[in-house]
Amino acid sequence: MNIFTNSQLDLVKRLTASGISKPDTWRCSATTNLFVCILQIPLLLHVTGPLHAADSGRDANAAINNETLIATSQEKVVKLYGAGGARGLESYQSGIIIDNSGHILTSWSTVLDVAKVRVVTFDGRRLDATMVGMDPQNELAILKVDDGGLVGFDLSKAVPASPGQRVFAISNLFGIAAGNESCSAQKGVIMALTSLTTRRGKTKSLYQGRVYVLDAMTNNPGASGGALIDLQGRLVGILGKEIRDEQAGIWLNYALPMDVVKSSVDRILSGNTSVQASGLKSVAQPHRISDLGITLIPDVLAKTPPYVDHVRDGSIASRAGLQTNDLILLLNDQRADSRKSLEKMLATINRADSFYVLVQRGQELIRIHVRP
Amino acid sequence: METTKAQTMTRQRRKQVVLYLGLVLFGVGSFLESNCGAQEDVTNLESAPVPNEAVLAAQQQRVEAMQRASRSTVAVYGTDGQGGGSGVCVSSDGYVLTNFHVSSPFGHRMRCGLNDGKMYDAVVAGSDPTGDLAVLKMVGRTDFPVAAIGDSDIVRIGQWCFAAGNPFVLATNLQPSISYGLISGVRRYQYPSGTILEYSDCIQTDAAINPGNSGGPLFNIRGELIGINGRCSFEKRGRVNVGVGYAISIKQAMNFFSQLRSGRVVDHATLGFTVTTENNGKVAVSNILESSDAYRRGIRYGDEILRLGDRDVATTNQLKNILGIFPDQWRIPIRYRNDSGVAETYIRLQSLHLASELEEIVQGESPQKQPQRKPPGGKNPIPGDKDKLEAPKPTKPVKKDAVDDLYTEKRGFSNYYFNRFELDRILGLQSTHGDWSSTAESWKIIGEIPGENLNVEMLLSDTNLTLRLGDKTDTVHPIQGWPKWIKQRSSVGALMGMRIWQQWNRVGPRLMGEAVYLGQNPIVGRQKLFDVTRITVSDFDVMVYTSPDTGLIEVIEVFSDKQTDPVELFIEKYESVDGRATPKTIRLAYGLESQFVVSIGQLQKSEVTARPGL
Repeated sequence: MNIFTNSQLDLVKRLTASGISKPDTWRCSATTNLFVCILQIPLLLHVTGPLHAADSGRDANAAINNETLIATSQEKVVKLYGAGGARGLESYQSGIIIDNSGHILTSWSTVLDVAKVRVVTFDGRRLDATMVGMDPQNELAILKVDDGGLVGFDLSKAVPASPGQRVFAISNLFGIAAGNESCSAQKGVIMALTSLTTRRGKTKSLYQGRVYVLDAMTNNPGASGGALIDLQGRLVGILGKEIRDEQAGIWLNYALPMDVVKSSVDRILSGNTSVQASGLKSVAQPHRISDLGITLIPDVLAKTPPYVDHVRDGSIASRAGLQTNDLILLLNDQRADSRKSLEKMLATINRADSFYVLVQRGQELIRIHVRP
Repeated sequence: METTKAQTMTRQRRKQVVLYLGLVLFGVGSFLESNCGAQEDVTNLESAPVPNEAVLAAQQQRVEAMQRASRSTVAVYGTDGQGGGSGVCVSSDGYVLTNFHVSSPFGHRMRCGLNDGKMYDAVVAGSDPTGDLAVLKMVGRTDFPVAAIGDSDIVRIGQWCFAAGNPFVLATNLQPSISYGLISGVRRYQYPSGTILEYSDCIQTDAAINPGNSGGPLFNIRGELIGINGRCSFEKRGRVNVGVGYAISIKQAMNFFSQLRSGRVVDHATLGFTVTTENNGKVAVSNILESSDAYRRGIRYGDEILRLGDRDVATTNQLKNILGIFPDQWRIPIRYRNDSGVAETYIRLQSLHLASELEEIVQGESPQKQPQRKPPGGKNPIPGDKDKLEAPKPTKPVKKDAVDDLYTEKRGFSNYYFNRFELDRILGLQSTHGDWSSTAESWKIIGEIPGENLNVEMLLSDTNLTLRLGDKTDTVHPIQGWPKWIKQRSSVGALMGMRIWQQWNRVGPRLMGEAVYLGQNPIVGRQKLFDVTRITVSDFDVMVYTSPDTGLIEVIEVFSDKQTDPVELFIEKYESVDGRATPKTIRLAYGLESQFVVSIGQLQKSEVTARPGL
């Protein structure tokens, strides 16, 4: 299948080494974008030409291989439905099954702001998932469904990929597939492995780590959480959330590499940044939101996000550096998914003890030490 | 004031287009540069990769497939050289498949460019506003390059494909642009969005489908035609390719092709019932019209639909997908389950729209009344095809010519000329099997019902029709009062059928009533499709199925009304008598039940000058 991959990669390395063009970082500015697009696409088109030939050259065999590996991978990608549906926020996205015990990895997004996320598997089964935990840094979350029958990707077999390598993206972009219909498959080439540096106010992304930049239109509404696989069907990345350069209006197509993904999976599954653990005991004299000097937005939803509406001058919160419009994500590394759960979690911390919160302020994640 | 605004808008749009062109051209330019650059580098490097022979051979195959495919790809323009979309030529006499939303703004006349660098005049034949298809006819050659028709039923996700066409009206030299991609999804159902346009059972690809690609072909990697590109998912990313394009399957397009060649505004179908997917996953009938053929065939509220056409049904979308590929009036097999078990039957599909509804849509889409089409959000027909972009100017000035002879305006038709043309074709075929116009109006048919030793005698004349079946004699008027007999499923149905057969052959369909060629439809139990002509005679309709090879009548259906099964007279065997193909075995049926078979011994008639009239 991949007889040309090595020489092809080799060629890319030589070309890039000889200084033709390889952006070290992906800057979401219009000029760089265009520069990257224009330089990279033709370059890679040329380089990848022979591989296309290799694929079609195997006639039926190659076709069957592609079909089979995509079909196999499609069975490990699920459609997720949750909150949203208004004001340009989609209520659907994609997820991948990451083991055989019902864990589903997906993007951490507003879609998950519901008590139960609806999971629809490749064969049309509808399952309810609960949140295991999330990693705000990498914008990933893990859900769990109680279904022994699900077979997922083997994360230990996930591999790194290199620029110039051909990949397939599998996701339910635009929510096209419903019920037992197959998620969509797209072809692409990894254009660059680079870090996603974004400038505040230009591009909205919490994630600022390494990404594979793709030459295909993969990151459409609903695609985030989808799988990026290589031509052997091995997982090489997970499709990220939509990112758009607000000035140039250009959308970035990218995926998080598997080492980044695996670090999140390990963190979440080891219990850090998990959803509030049950059995926490309230203490006699706990912290209270009002005592901290914070007003949160009114609790009107089943899961009202704990947004700071106001911080009283001179209060504990004010001294710690909390600000209006901060969204409290984690409290001592436990997820506060709603105002109610934040209140419950605060009730377990003694008033005399300090604690940490992780807040989202605009497109930044800030860890704040709150000392009484 | 408004003009200024419009001008500014146009200018802005032009600017946008120029920007697109600029980007793409820049891309191409730098491609060439880096291509050369890369080659230089390769030669400078030690141990540069040596391409594998098999790889080069495969590349050559692909190049050839694309070259072959490019020959049948058509660039569609208005007569003033404005606008632009794509199409594909599917017959050597110049029939082109395209999208309805490509052809409709141009009126009946347009110009088609092929990659031989020539522009050909073309005229619209038929339109399918629901399925977004249209058929054009190019003139000027009898050897137009034809696309090889593939099998869209065996297209699978993960296969390679390519689109050819005229994106952004780039084909100024009439060479189509090719975009390569993957089959992303199959059997997609896309709801109508703001229009009646419904894409069912379509193919999803990530091959770039941009404005101007509409109506153009999607080929598999062997260069066989598998779909007609026509729709994209856009939403918030502007009206260019975002990696999701949809093609109407070639299966659907070819099912409709003969219908569209009829010059009609063709319709899609309903089953006469609706379904819902129940909680247990069953697709069950949730509502059924008692006047529908489905009801008469035994389908009832709550029955589970298992299979339709040649495919299993497990979801509502699958049912809609299957239904969407069939024209109305087709009879297709269905398998369903009720309390007494699984049953199979055929149902006759009903029209989805009233004739007046379709007429309104076509009127609304015509160039005189072209509204700014603004379907809300979601999946829209690719816009921009109609944008007034610069395109090659027609080489010759437009004057009254051969194309005008190929156009006849008539209500309910895209181009009535083609309806006459097709009916003439059928009559031409038939005339080679003997001329009945010189026979007198009185015929006597003598035969028997084999196995029952029952003599049958039919007397046909302009005064009355008589059937003697054993000792029983029935007489009916040669034209009036038929519906009441049909409702009783009477044996005289055979008499009516033979009267239609007689008159079709003696005086011709056009003197019997209003004759309209419909296209090709299936006959239950037969593999092929048959030409169907509908004749409206006083208070009833007749459908005549003729063989596309011989032009001989195979089945005659006489309809009293929509609530009643029609007479079905099958001419099962012909025999040549005095140089005329004469019915030898006929069979009468109602619904799917045969009444009797008649073996005809003798058809007595005298030779006089024919008198018209039924």
